[in-house]
Amino acid sequence: MQPGEAVQAAPANPGEGADGAGSAGRERGGRRVVVTGVGAVSGFGWGVEALWQGLRAGTTAIRPFRRFDATLHRTHLAAEVPAAPASPAERPCGPAAARAAAGGRPLGTLSLADRFALSAAGEALAAAGLGAALRTLPEGAVGVFFGSSTGGMWESEQFLAGVFDGRRGSLRAIASQQVNGPGDAVARGFGVTGPVQTVSSACASGALAIAAALESLRRGEVEVALAGGSDSLCQLTYAGFNSLRSVDEAPCRPFRAGRAGMSIGEGAAVLVLEPLERVLARGAVPLAELAGAGSACDAFHMTAPEPEGTGAAAAIAAALDDAGLAPAAIDFVNAHATGTPLNDAAEWRALLAVFGERSGRIPVTATKAAVGHLLGCSGAIEALVTVLSLARGELHPVPALPAASATSGDGDPIDGACPAALVTGRPLALPAARAALSTSLAFGGSNAALVFSRWTGASP
Amino acid sequence: MVTALGTAGAHGCGRAGLERALAAGAPPPATEVDRGAGYHRPGGARRALLTPVAALAPWLPAAEARRMGPPSRLAVAAARIALAEAGLDPAQLAGPGTAVVLSTAFGPCSFSEALLRQVLRDGPESASPYLFTESVANAPAAQIAIACGARGANVTLCQREAGPLLAVARGAAEVAAGRAERALVGAVDEMPPLLHAVLDRFGALAAHGARGSEAREGPGGRCRGEIGRPLDRRRDGVVAADGATVLLLESAAAAGRGGRVPLARVCGWGSAFDPSAPPTGWGGGGEALGRALRRLLRRCGAAPEDVGAPPAAIDRIVSGASGARAGDRLEARVLRAAWGAAPLPPVLAPKGVTGEYGGGFLAAAVLAAAVAGVAAAPAAGFGEPDPDLGVSPHDGSPLPPPRALLASSLAAGGAAAWLILGRPR
Amino acid sequence: MPDLAHAASSADDAHAADVAPGADAASGANGGNAADVADIADVAGRVKRLIVANLHLDGLRPEMLDEQAPLFGDGLGLDSVDALELVVAVEKEFGIRIKSNEIGRDVFSSVASLARFIAGRV
Repeated sequence: MQPGEAVQAAPANPGEGADGAGSAGRERGGRRVVVTGVGAVSGFGWGVEALWQGLRAGTTAIRPFRRFDATLHRTHLAAEVPAAPASPAERPCGPAAARAAAGGRPLGTLSLADRFALSAAGEALAAAGLGAALRTLPEGAVGVFFGSSTGGMWESEQFLAGVFDGRRGSLRAIASQQVNGPGDAVARGFGVTGPVQTVSSACASGALAIAAALESLRRGEVEVALAGGSDSLCQLTYAGFNSLRSVDEAPCRPFRAGRAGMSIGEGAAVLVLEPLERVLARGAVPLAELAGAGSACDAFHMTAPEPEGTGAAAAIAAALDDAGLAPAAIDFVNAHATGTPLNDAAEWRALLAVFGERSGRIPVTATKAAVGHLLGCSGAIEALVTVLSLARGELHPVPALPAASATSGDGDPIDGACPAALVTGRPLALPAARAALSTSLAFGGSNAALVFSRWTGASP
Repeated sequence: MVTALGTAGAHGCGRAGLERALAAGAPPPATEVDRGAGYHRPGGARRALLTPVAALAPWLPAAEARRMGPPSRLAVAAARIALAEAGLDPAQLAGPGTAVVLSTAFGPCSFSEALLRQVLRDGPESASPYLFTESVANAPAAQIAIACGARGANVTLCQREAGPLLAVARGAAEVAAGRAERALVGAVDEMPPLLHAVLDRFGALAAHGARGSEAREGPGGRCRGEIGRPLDRRRDGVVAADGATVLLLESAAAAGRGGRVPLARVCGWGSAFDPSAPPTGWGGGGEALGRALRRLLRRCGAAPEDVGAPPAAIDRIVSGASGARAGDRLEARVLRAAWGAAPLPPVLAPKGVTGEYGGGFLAAAVLAAAVAGVAAAPAAGFGEPDPDLGVSPHDGSPLPPPRALLASSLAAGGAAAWLILGRPR
Repeated sequence: MPDLAHAASSADDAHAADVAPGADAASGANGGNAADVADIADVAGRVKRLIVANLHLDGLRPEMLDEQAPLFGDGLGLDSVDALELVVAVEKEFGIRIKSNEIGRDVFSSVASLARFIAGRV
């Protein structure tokens, strides 16, 4: 591969590439791709360490919030991101990147989702040892692959509230309203000149964005990919999920018998992805390998998952196939696990279909129980937690149940209809975990799965 | 291979109306947008190219459509039109081997607006589950999947004007990598009054009266002002449009098995970003994007210096130039930079007919690869070259069918996407 | 979102627990019974209008709805999202609150069962 010259982005005759060969003959010549840095913003705070420490302590970030008046809504909790660190020195995204992201406009035009994204991206790049080095890469070598459900909707709500009241609002508030706002802000902020795209497929967005980055890297279209997502709390979404009676009044309790719905969260997550040989050549150490991705659609119903989890199982199987791994190689699962009665039941059926009699023994964690459902970002933040779990050899527990939910003395037991081996109490040490699965089962039926494998230092 | 095309827009349902309009360089009549809500500024744009809603009805059984928002209706209708025009029974597509990749610039904004109105004015507890379900950007893609039983990957991309070509690229990649046997790919947008008014307030829309306008005969009568003039010196904005286009992409083998004659072959794709672009506009330079385009052309063996080498060098460009002042300027600069000293091949600029958004451009690009009249079409709205651009669209004189066509789209906000289409072998 | 099949049994419990205190007194006297029946008939009529107005069922008029016929599955063929849409409309029309675990096959099986539930609540 010549420096400055990305390898062909597409086979010369893509129309003929898949001729009759099916998955067995599918082109697998792509490069191995690894994660070299991660950044996050969540209900636990700004930064990956805040997230990780909050998770491993078994605490929950789902609590009363202040963004808007929750007393008007059916439920009143969310995992709201706390105020940004006061000191500029503590902020991963430097002022230069923020100014560049704002594109010559006042910083106030950046939406909250933009700011989350910039912070996560800055942190991830610094952790990857790239940062300033990013701009020395050849033109077109860096891409951004992002997922979001609402982009700058919160800011637009302020604008539209004024419009509906007959007040003339400043158009600035709506300037970043588009769903592609955060991804574009990251691209502007860090001077990205390669492919930039935003996926908006509800809860699968983040995972699908990571899958797109994987594809792009394997083909040699880019050398570095910033993959992730960002979403911020807004009334539209909060009221919308409540209208579906999908939101639990208490913090969500995935896989429990008494589970009653999801909890909403906000934040951002970014993974820096690079080809393995590039990483080794520059002397960096991968956090984990992104081994494979798969996706499939239920094509069943606009809001309810297909009860047998067939689409989710197909996505998982496709991801395993893409990774060249058998189900037996998966040592833990970071489940989608929203805590709704239907999702967890369907997801269990999918795990059963893929893992068979092992299903009840594979450790499962549910990050949403701690940081809520980050919607378009959820697949990304859960992928990030999966990467850290592999790198640090530890799976976080779900938060302890509040005392009030203890019914017959054994708290809220795991639902016998979806008996996942949920990690509770203390973190589960898994220093020798070989590979892990992260799943996303989206509203509208789009399912995505990512397979990560532990970096053991072995050469390719 | 592109083996089917379904499109719905101001030209009606199906490709025939669009082909005629493109070949003649005559846009369909624009519709007055409902300004009753008071969002629009006085003296601003009043019209858009809107799909006649009644035209969609035959494609949308009432039981299915009763809960679909406007973008879902457009998208599902376009998908069904594509299948019908290819003589395909939807049941043949059902299964895990069929992926869906759609793009939308603005998503389902009318339902989002209605939902927000409920939440903010009547209180959150009055939020309608119907509206919420159909207010998410991926609703149209999900509805297509349900309508067709498409159980492969289901992806919705949002990247403004670059979305449609990115969606084709993503779908083609799924098929090329063997993850899907076929993909329904395309673009959809609705154009409700609030969105139209906001675009107008941002100065994006061609003006009513005054600057740049002139009385002009068009089908359906006189049309004053509000004309999209791609690459024209007098251009002052785009004509907004709604609609949807859905293409069926298949491997050559699958197309052959089905006995379908492809419209075009997907030869290559690429995308890039201009970080100097403001969030809702276009950057100035064009050199970096021009280099990115040049790299794409060289990768696909389609650069100007590859004349005579197979696959052929680009001999037709379908430009996303739309009448936007800065957008068209950047487009011209990018093309000039990519071609360098070599002369540009004939440039088609169909957005004078299709308007901006709604998938019409994507349909026009495919039709230009497949239909002689469209491949040599004049650009509606163009009359005076802009010396600052150095690029003028083709004048409509006869041309041989293109061997390799480049479709180019530059999004407000900085993204760029390109697609190379060739003749089916 | 509640699944209509799963929520049925808990809906039973909730219904029993939430019978309005006034109903006990009213059911004791003949006059009270007649008033109950008239109330329920009125409620049923309003429910039918809500169904037609909110569920986008083209060509349907309130008088065409059979009060005993199943609303979900067979019959009118509504689904869980329709149920939730109806819940929002009913809450607003009658000024009542319906708990999530009450949205089930029992209460929502037909116009008649829904009308009884609402009348007991108002």
